[in-house]
Amino acid sequence: MNRLGRNDAGLRLCLWCTLAVAVEVGLYLSYQQHEARFHWFTHFFVGTSAALVVMSAVAWHQHRAIAYPLMWPIAGHIVAMFPDLLFTSGTAHYRWMDLFLGHISTHFVPGRNLTWYLVFLAALGLYLTVLARLVDRGNA
Amino acid sequence: MIWLLAATVLGGLLAAAEFTRGPLDDPDPAQQRPGILDLGPLPEPASAVSESIPRLGRPAVVFFGRPDMVDALCRALPNTGLSGDADLVIVLPTGTAECRAVPVIEDPDGSLAEGYGMRSPIADGSPVGYAVVDDRGRIRYRTLDPAVITELGEVRTIVAAL
Repeated sequence: MNRLGRNDAGLRLCLWCTLAVAVEVGLYLSYQQHEARFHWFTHFFVGTSAALVVMSAVAWHQHRAIAYPLMWPIAGHIVAMFPDLLFTSGTAHYRWMDLFLGHISTHFVPGRNLTWYLVFLAALGLYLTVLARLVDRGNA
Repeated sequence: MIWLLAATVLGGLLAAAEFTRGPLDDPDPAQQRPGILDLGPLPEPASAVSESIPRLGRPAVVFFGRPDMVDALCRALPNTGLSGDADLVIVLPTGTAECRAVPVIEDPDGSLAEGYGMRSPIADGSPVGYAVVDDRGRIRYRTLDPAVITELGEVRTIVAAL
């Protein structure tokens, strides 16, 4: 890749990062407005962890890095928090909403959000390890 | 590098969120405003707050508050339409307060709050939150909620789910 190509790729990555951070900051502020930051953390860690595990498996299986890697964690987060969108429009929570990546029961794990923080770091570590292996093989 | 950055930023945010929790919040944030009926041991029979609340055939919302919030709560409640769906009552630990829209009951020994299973906030003392009783006289929902005055739409969502 020449210098111009590297700059172009870097700029694209930067734009995706900015977009991803803007989306998450927006979601965080919407939870903060309702005094519900605890819930943002739970669904963020659970949703992004699930996405990172899936991304690791897909990347390993396809022998190449995932396209649009920042969109997967955001999609995972939105799936995990979806019942909260229903709640703000007037639909209470029900146990079947655990279908959305354990939306109800994930709040009650021992250690609460600290546990999900550690799970997230493990999932991120797994994905980065897979990427490193693919780079070693020249597939990334 | 990416892993360390994520660990630091998210760990810092998580710690900041924990350290900025208010004195009236629940020590266990998972128990605060869970948004789902019949959590844990619920439903449980609701004890009488007054002669007519709760009564069979009509839901009730029992607000547990502090004297300094009664005015604001009293002003906010009529605009929510909640009184059309349920009987409303405000329980205070001490002092008397005037509220035209909603009866106010004193609970000096905390027995009502205890009877409704209201949890103690981080700073101890009387709870600020509410319990929702269904039309069969059973407590279906209870939570601490220091911001209840600005989140009354949420109370209506819970009442609608009964």
